[in-house]
Amino acid sequence: MSGRTATRGARPARTHTLAASVKAPRLKRVPRAAWICALVAFLNAACWSLVTYAFQAPDEPSHFAYVKQLAETGSLPTVGLEGLSSEELLTLDGLRSEEVREEPQNRAIVTQAEQSQLRRDLAAAQASKGRGSPGAGVAASEPPLYYAVEAIPYILARHASVLARLQLMRLTSALMAGLTALFVFMFVREVLPAAPPWAWTVAGLAIALTPLLGFMSGAVNPDSLLFAVSAAIFYALARAFRRGLDTAGAVTIGALLAIGFLTKVNFLGLVPGILVGLAVLAARAARVAGRSAYRTLALALAIGFSPGVIYVSVNALSQRPLFGLVSAAIQTVHGSPFAELNYIWQFYLPRLPGTVDDFPGLFMAQQLWFRGYVGLYGWFDTTFPAWVYSVALIPTGAVALLCGHALFQRRGVLRARAVELAVYASICVGLMALIAADSYHEFPALDAAYAQVRYLLPLLPLLGAALALAALGAGRRWGPIAGTVIVIVFLAHDLFSQLLVAARYYG
Amino acid sequence: MIRGVTITLILGLALLAVAVGLTLARSPMTVARASGAFVDTQTPIAATESGADYCQARELLPRGTSAIRVSLFASIGPRVMVTVTSDRRTVASGEQASAWTGGVVTVPVRPLARPVAPVTVCASFRLRDGGVTVLGERTSAAIAARSAGGPLAGRMRIEYLRSGSRTWASLIGSIVRHMALGRATTGAWIVFVALALALAVAVLASSLILRDLP
Repeated sequence: MSGRTATRGARPARTHTLAASVKAPRLKRVPRAAWICALVAFLNAACWSLVTYAFQAPDEPSHFAYVKQLAETGSLPTVGLEGLSSEELLTLDGLRSEEVREEPQNRAIVTQAEQSQLRRDLAAAQASKGRGSPGAGVAASEPPLYYAVEAIPYILARHASVLARLQLMRLTSALMAGLTALFVFMFVREVLPAAPPWAWTVAGLAIALTPLLGFMSGAVNPDSLLFAVSAAIFYALARAFRRGLDTAGAVTIGALLAIGFLTKVNFLGLVPGILVGLAVLAARAARVAGRSAYRTLALALAIGFSPGVIYVSVNALSQRPLFGLVSAAIQTVHGSPFAELNYIWQFYLPRLPGTVDDFPGLFMAQQLWFRGYVGLYGWFDTTFPAWVYSVALIPTGAVALLCGHALFQRRGVLRARAVELAVYASICVGLMALIAADSYHEFPALDAAYAQVRYLLPLLPLLGAALALAALGAGRRWGPIAGTVIVIVFLAHDLFSQLLVAARYYG
Repeated sequence: MIRGVTITLILGLALLAVAVGLTLARSPMTVARASGAFVDTQTPIAATESGADYCQARELLPRGTSAIRVSLFASIGPRVMVTVTSDRRTVASGEQASAWTGGVVTVPVRPLARPVAPVTVCASFRLRDGGVTVLGERTSAAIAARSAGGPLAGRMRIEYLRSGSRTWASLIGSIVRHMALGRATTGAWIVFVALALALAVAVLASSLILRDLP
């Protein structure tokens, strides 16, 4: 963040640019380093897709079932139905999925006899009658876009076994990891325009090597698309803050909003912050372009909310809850608003004096969030030895200190860009509040049902910016070396995470 | 003159290779003994929402046991203490901090030079929210694990872990064979594809560092 940026932010908005006419040049303007980061992220996620045992990523059987239903019948699965198709159940049986899941003492199939049994199960599965999978478990309530994308590899491999289809679908998810890294690079380039380009590379590479991104994008899970969409929105907002909100920018943000709505319910957590950002950008553009800036805002909102309007209309016509799953969540009364706020606070931060302790004996930030980031794979059953989590505090602390130093050095710029930073913070807070509020609905039967770090990965662009700042915080002379160390630490973390997962399933 | 970034990268990659080598030279934890017959799918034999002391008699603590794995299921597990007693004397104990997840909790203990039998193994924890389910196999009340409320529905699954005699390096062959199973097409080639991908990731990342970082 630099002073140069602050002056650039006042550039007048272009209000009549056609997105289509600038599409090709824009692609050419993407630096080669960004493409390489994208390739690294894709290859890494593809590697994870081979290392992770079939159906041993969170909710993967349910997400596979959703794609099967959509690809084979063209219709969505029914919410509330738990049963999977006989084809998938037979495959899960052959893989011993239930025995392996959440039971780290049980390995994947390890004998030729088990492999032969799996082959028989796969043959029986392919011969089993019945199309689709009306039940898709926890996935059934999710919007259909990711599953529609995954239906393409599914249909291409429809005559192959379930496992072949699953692998092809996992590779499609891996492509989304590439998009995530690409957009994180572009986001960091926009928010740190005065930084030397190597800092953008450090951010892009580190995010590409983030093990949890590889693990989740190496599996069939809509989170992979959500990470990419979220990174793209962060980039589009940062670009608009730097260059002004033009028509092309508004259309892009609107389209990304629509894609986000169609990707995963969790996206709702990002929406308030994005709307604040759009409002701020429109107000700034209005100083130069007058009322037309608000027409640009209206265009973005119209595009962004069109899927939501269609969804509500369909629900209204079919006499279902207007906002589907969200309606049920809103209507569920559970404790006082203060109790919920207290819970949301403690979901991430230490308890405030005089408040009820919702997580006695737990330091959420360290024991759940930090440990979850450092290493918790499979069905949350694969962990490093305890000492690894303690050692991991050292590089984390060093990055935090360097990042803090860089921010302190740039405090003048921070003040100048306070509104932009507040927008990113509001996106962050919105997502975190949504996850905690969802968990509160399960409380106290379950302490922290959704305290899973993967739900925070839509905020990867902010991590990328923090890492770039950490490298810059080491100073002009040591910055590139600090950046190299950061990338190597991420590479090591990624490699050992994959070895851990391989040892757990195949050791 | 070699740039600082190049030296850092070479040193970093060398350290990474050494760390992988050291890891491969170590032995994985293996199950020295497990209570009861091995069953993949375990049955819930008790559940609590307030905490309990579950004790199981007629156990054998193998020589060199460095961790005891108890089959308890929790979404976010509480702090668990495990004590092993023989003739009312504690011969081993340890605790696992809260926030473990899944179907087992592994508690490190100090290894003993010789096996001890019979011993009673107790797993103790307290809860305020959430719940913990005890997994194991159903047995008669006479040999079942016990809590303050009396016998449970069976015996807890308890595994005694110690360092194995083989190193990770010597297990690579079997890992490669296992990794080739459970897939659309069998064959060790899948492992080499994964290795090639990992290598490509490292090479691409390194070359980008060398290209972009001054």
